[in-house]
Amino acid sequence: MSTRLRVDWPSCRGRGLCSEVLPELISLDEWGYPVVHDDVPPELLGLAREAARTCPTLALRLVTR
Amino acid sequence: MTGPFLWYANRGTGVVLLVLLTVTALLGVLATHGAAGGRVPRFLPQAVHRTLSLTCAALLLAHVTTAVVDEYVDIRWWQVLLPVGATYRPLWLGLGTVAFDLVLVVVATSLLRARLPHRAWRTLHVSAYACWALSVAHGLGIGTDAGSPWARRTGLVCVAAVALAGAARLAGLGLTRWRRARATAADALLVTGGGR
Amino acid sequence: MSAAVLVRPAGDGGGPVVAVRPGAHVLRDVPAGPSLAAHRRRTPPPPKLPLADLVARVREVDVRGRGGAGFPFATKLEAAAGAGRRREVVVNLSEGEPVSFKDAALALTRPHLVLDGAVLVARALGSRVVHVVLPGDRPGVAAAVRRAVDERGREDRRTRWRVHRAADRFVAGQAHAVVELMSGRPNLPVTAWQPVALHGYRGRPTLLSNAETFAHVALLAGAGAVAYAGAGTDEEPGTRLLTLDGDGERPTVTEVPHGTPWEDLLTDDALDGPVLVGGYHGTWAAPGALRGLTVSRTAMAAAGLSLGAGVVLPLSPGDCPVHRTAAIVAYLAGQSARRCGPCRHGLPALADAVRATDRGLDVSARAGELAGLVTGRGACAHPDGTARTVTSMLAAYGDEVAAHAGGECGYRRSSLVARSVGRGR
Repeated sequence: MSTRLRVDWPSCRGRGLCSEVLPELISLDEWGYPVVHDDVPPELLGLAREAARTCPTLALRLVTR
Repeated sequence: MTGPFLWYANRGTGVVLLVLLTVTALLGVLATHGAAGGRVPRFLPQAVHRTLSLTCAALLLAHVTTAVVDEYVDIRWWQVLLPVGATYRPLWLGLGTVAFDLVLVVVATSLLRARLPHRAWRTLHVSAYACWALSVAHGLGIGTDAGSPWARRTGLVCVAAVALAGAARLAGLGLTRWRRARATAADALLVTGGGR
Repeated sequence: MSAAVLVRPAGDGGGPVVAVRPGAHVLRDVPAGPSLAAHRRRTPPPPKLPLADLVARVREVDVRGRGGAGFPFATKLEAAAGAGRRREVVVNLSEGEPVSFKDAALALTRPHLVLDGAVLVARALGSRVVHVVLPGDRPGVAAAVRRAVDERGREDRRTRWRVHRAADRFVAGQAHAVVELMSGRPNLPVTAWQPVALHGYRGRPTLLSNAETFAHVALLAGAGAVAYAGAGTDEEPGTRLLTLDGDGERPTVTEVPHGTPWEDLLTDDALDGPVLVGGYHGTWAAPGALRGLTVSRTAMAAAGLSLGAGVVLPLSPGDCPVHRTAAIVAYLAGQSARRCGPCRHGLPALADAVRATDRGLDVSARAGELAGLVTGRGACAHPDGTARTVTSMLAAYGDEVAAHAGGECGYRRSSLVARSVGRGR
């Protein structure tokens, strides 16, 4: 069972707040859109939730498979 | 129950709320501006906006509670929620009541933001501007200190600040719309140019 | 191979005219015409098969989707059946790939085989409604399907048909985009939190498949697994439709049993030259790579290639794969729905990079980087497919790319003058 951060791309405006909150997992490409590097390890779960909460357009979601 | 403490508490929270609500609104506008990469992280105005607005909500609760509890003026508890039937300055009180209702709506929807469709949340959140305006009007009409020079100056600064911020926000929205329209026109060229 | 027949849409409906090579199974008896009467002379109405039965048959011969992804149909059926009581069935005839004509061929020659398959699946799933998505830009095909649907009304009063017209875009046929279209919203992709088979039209499990897939299901139900598996190989029973392009002739739709060597289908010139397999989201085969291969999903996958939607584009002599890729990527960039940032920005940048590579600038590394950057970062697979074509070109024609960087093109036998590439987009 893995926890991932998924981006709702049509909603994402490339504001970049997510990468500020969680730079360990999210970086920004040359146009400002998030690149999610990995699954969310347990120790970063809280920050991942915060990143999802911080997104101004609610484009970031935490999904568990 | 009555006494000067309740009255001063009510007046004090009122004035502080005027300033803090203004700052909250300004932070809200600031939070929509720009993207990551500057010296100030973008999540900061957003985070402070959220925290400050909850602080304002708490102060507001104190403000209305002192108003209701103080028997010097006859304000009943239900007049906090419904703008009808008040005997003390009904018009100005009513404005405050509607503002209070809007605060409840804005705070509730924002606490539940993740569960709402983003568009719905955003539309409701815009009512915060109306909420702020009603609060200012309420203060001007019903406030004991409304006449004094320092209150006037403070009020003027607050109104000017939010007016400026609001105008900047509208301009920003207009710019985004213009940019999108230009991009769509460019794509039309790209699509017809590509062809099959 | 049989001679190709030119099929014209009836009436003044408009194009396209499709060349079809009559086959032994799906494209059997093409000259008899597409009418329901002609169809019923050789094929009885579809039986009412219980779901478990249908799933078993489909699984036995491993029917795969023919829309490009090749997803196992049995798995899709079971998923849809397990996700809710009210299910929807959608026949995707939109064929947004401009160089693919197989679905158009089916619509013009054997529409009722497709519709039989759809009715079969709908009944097994307990649905009385079948949705059909028509192409936005092939009016003759759309008209032919409407005629076929009308004909069925008299034969089968229980099934209701809903016809939808796709937008004239490459991405219009994408599964979620189709559900958007059916729901009255713009025919563009949205984020897929769940596959449409689980949560699609009106939140219901939606079995959406390519028209050809339904044709195979109908064939299977009518002929039985043994007869169906008579063609093809043991691992991949059955046939598939390919759109074979090339040699300056009209693209021809051919029914090919799985396992057929490519040497039986293409000329020597074609086999020894660059071939784009799978369409505009496909993969480039290096010169001669197809010689040892067969029309088989697994054999192609082992060679790093994919059949995709069954389009085969050999280049004409003098046509350069780098140049062609540049044109294709430019087209695909223009076809972006522009809803997702990485696609909206990345595809035009990728198009610029490939065009610059074609013109002799040494930016192939940038093209590869951009291809990696757009993959997996969009609501649909449009950027992924585009990136795949670029990556396969860089891999199979690395020498040619290097030649371009040196100012020469091996295919056009000419020197390139590296002009500075303007921003273009």
